[in-house]
Amino acid sequence: MKITIGHMFKIKRGNVTLQYPVERWPRPERHIGFSEDSYNVIRSRLTVDMDDCIGCLKCERACPVDCIKIVTEKVEKGKDIPEANHRGITSHGTQKRLLVTRFDIDMTECCYCNLCTYPCPEECIFMVGGPNSSKREIDYEFSEYDRGDMVYRFAKVPPYVLQEYVDTEDDQKEEVT
Amino acid sequence: MGVVIEQELGTVHGDEMILNIGPQHPSTHGVLRLKVHTDGEIVTKITPYIGYLHRCFEKHCENLTYEQATPYTDRCDYIGSMNNNFGYAVAVEQLMETKVPEKVEYMRVIVAEMNRIASHLLALGTFGLDVGAFTPFLYCFRDRERILDLFEMLCGARLLYNYIWIGGVSHDFPVGWVEKTYEFLDYFEPKINEYNDLLTYNKIFIERSADVGVIPVDVAISYGVTGPNLRGSGVRWDLRKDDPYGIYDRFEFDIPIGTGAMGSVGDCWDRYYVRVRELEECIKIIRQALDALPRDGDVHAALPKKIRPKAGHVYSRTESPRGDLGYYIASDGSDTPTRIKMRSPAFTALSCLNEISRGWMISDVIAILGSLDIVLGEIDR
Amino acid sequence: MVDYFLGTFSGITWLAASPNLSFVLAVTLAGLPIFLFMALNALIAVYAERKISAFMQDRLGPMGQGVGLHAGKWGVLQTAADAVKLITKEDIIPATADKKLFIIAPFILFTASFTAFAAFPFNEYLVAADFNIGLFYILAMGSVGVIGIILAGYSSNNKWSLYGAMRSAAQIVSYEIPAGLSVLSVVMLSGSLAFREIVAAQTGTTLAILPNWFILDNPFTFIAFWIFFVAGVAEVNRTPFDLPEAESELVAGWMTEYSGMRWSFFFLAEYANMFIVAGLASLLFLGGWLSPIPGYLEGNLWGIFWFISKVSFLIFVMMWFRWTFPRLRTDQLMRLCWKFFLPASFVTIIGVGFWDLFVR
Repeated sequence: MKITIGHMFKIKRGNVTLQYPVERWPRPERHIGFSEDSYNVIRSRLTVDMDDCIGCLKCERACPVDCIKIVTEKVEKGKDIPEANHRGITSHGTQKRLLVTRFDIDMTECCYCNLCTYPCPEECIFMVGGPNSSKREIDYEFSEYDRGDMVYRFAKVPPYVLQEYVDTEDDQKEEVT
Repeated sequence: MGVVIEQELGTVHGDEMILNIGPQHPSTHGVLRLKVHTDGEIVTKITPYIGYLHRCFEKHCENLTYEQATPYTDRCDYIGSMNNNFGYAVAVEQLMETKVPEKVEYMRVIVAEMNRIASHLLALGTFGLDVGAFTPFLYCFRDRERILDLFEMLCGARLLYNYIWIGGVSHDFPVGWVEKTYEFLDYFEPKINEYNDLLTYNKIFIERSADVGVIPVDVAISYGVTGPNLRGSGVRWDLRKDDPYGIYDRFEFDIPIGTGAMGSVGDCWDRYYVRVRELEECIKIIRQALDALPRDGDVHAALPKKIRPKAGHVYSRTESPRGDLGYYIASDGSDTPTRIKMRSPAFTALSCLNEISRGWMISDVIAILGSLDIVLGEIDR
Repeated sequence: MVDYFLGTFSGITWLAASPNLSFVLAVTLAGLPIFLFMALNALIAVYAERKISAFMQDRLGPMGQGVGLHAGKWGVLQTAADAVKLITKEDIIPATADKKLFIIAPFILFTASFTAFAAFPFNEYLVAADFNIGLFYILAMGSVGVIGIILAGYSSNNKWSLYGAMRSAAQIVSYEIPAGLSVLSVVMLSGSLAFREIVAAQTGTTLAILPNWFILDNPFTFIAFWIFFVAGVAEVNRTPFDLPEAESELVAGWMTEYSGMRWSFFFLAEYANMFIVAGLASLLFLGGWLSPIPGYLEGNLWGIFWFISKVSFLIFVMMWFRWTFPRLRTDQLMRLCWKFFLPASFVTIIGVGFWDLFVR
């Protein structure tokens, strides 16, 4: 009985809950006393830097739940296509050969295992925040009202650009889009 | 006792009531349905119905590569997922006949034991909740939160880690993690005394759990009960000592067994107390491992480029917080397994529920279920 | 208060002409503040319970932050929000339930607690209905509540509710006996069943500085206080005796099928019962409206203050019990009552009798 009454009077020191809307995680001084920067890896929202994506499909193959869908088209090596936001060279210096016309990640299927981030040669797919805070701030509040909004479409290629690069025999790919 | 009516179907007792402790219930540790035949308040027969959480884990694994199956193994016993990953990795490495570096072995032991502490804390807390003590549940969770915070710093996830990979671990310990773990162990050791004061030696708790739900040794062995449930019945069997995998043979620790201190050997109090004592043993192991941890070394050294084991099959078992976790993997030389079967310890623990709860009251059934520490994710896979 | 109102009404000629009407009016006017007090007590007790339980469990409980956000600073409006929600909730009656009994059950329970409140004195002069057998009346009205519980469990047509109701009925009826017997020692010492005289017998001091409360009078009355308090906790169905409404076993026991306003009646009745038990304990053993420092801080308003603070302290102790101990199983509960409390209460009666005869 002494224990519970002792806890009652020491509540200011002992409180372990966060008042959510006002106090949000990550809080620098949370019991263990480390900040988000010392994280090895973080599991939050997946995001893709399309400037760096070379369309190698390694992340699609690594995903255990098949939530990533990528469709690519061949283009000239190293050429910029500004209408499609396609830079010919990644930030690591690789020249791109493929235009990614469809890069969908279904966040409702994603199991947040992080297996897709390891094989990427250009480090363009990553989870925001933590060690990647320099690229993107942390974001774990990404709920939507509509289930369709949870499918993140990263490749934004306008249809008129698509027409130039898609071969006519690959017409069935357009239905997929 | 009521009128006994002889029919072709057998004897039907006139007073018997069939009660359904349904899938939605505050204390069934998951979605479990128990059909309880009672005579007044005394239980005569229990039939568990499982399958509400079946997610076809084993069927999925036939279409996945070996490293893709690791997040799936996490989700079977979601409370002790490091141990699941560990068991799976040990099985595949046995099939591939690779050895992992020393540092990786120590890291695996550290995280597996910390996860064992977290799992036992949850077991203790929910057992207290089932018998009506609301506060120790929250204290156990508060301490579990600290372990989960440490894991978050390590691999980003709090519950389903995907950390122990085949051939190594996914990340090295971050700077300062070892010191934080030492701090946590120093903070946690006196808390065990708090739990003992509040719950273990509480007279009401002892009355509720002593002598209740005794599992005799022969029943336990014939049903295949393992882990703390078996140790509570007095059998000194722990895979970490009797069939060591990894580097467990380098550590010094005791195996606590139930001695019937507050009642008979093998009652609920014994199983509960074995878990409390195991917390102390885990702390010992973690301290020894942290002291002996090699500070430098590449944890990704033995990660295979392509996991393509030779054709064959292997059955390997490890000690998860619930008992003997076994993985049977059959491979045909390609990069996806032909068959993965997981032998879940909680399944056998649940199967002996009928035998041990005959003659007890309904409140005792809840207490017995709590002391068996089942996780439906593991039972249903 | 009823007498007071009747007295004033006799001065009003047109009211004094019809004694029935004046009686009904007097009773209604006296009952209204009691009802309001009961509701207020439930509101505050619920808020206190949530906060106390939270603090004991290292968390904060209902909190409201910032401007215009939900529950007010420190969460004080939380109970008001709960009350509004309960009133506006849909009224669900299970199709297979016995409708008449289902509807009557909360009212019986509530009425029993409410009428017991009527005999509580807050002060030497402030009491709704001044009985000279006040103690007996309150114990009797407390027993009427059992009917409400049994009806609730039976009419829900749900095996779980039936279990809970049966357990609860057995528990309440059994624990009334030690409660009543331990109170007898107080009655012996003060020689009357009326509250005014019982508290009056506790004025003054023993050993010059300690107040002359019955709990300190006698080692036997000390034991009697604890027996009464624990038996009272069992009567209210609170942990460690809360098997009838055990959350982890029977969902909510005999209250399972009730929702909305009906459930809030049960809830109100539970907190009112807590107040009754704590109030009885403080009146009989802790000196009621007398100040702990005899001679100082006495007076009408101080009396109310002391009474309410003693009752609140005892309610706090009940909540402290709830969040510390696991619960007893039904047969252990019964065994505790019949094999332990009952002989102990007999011992206290005999002991107090002997003490009074020989030691005094």
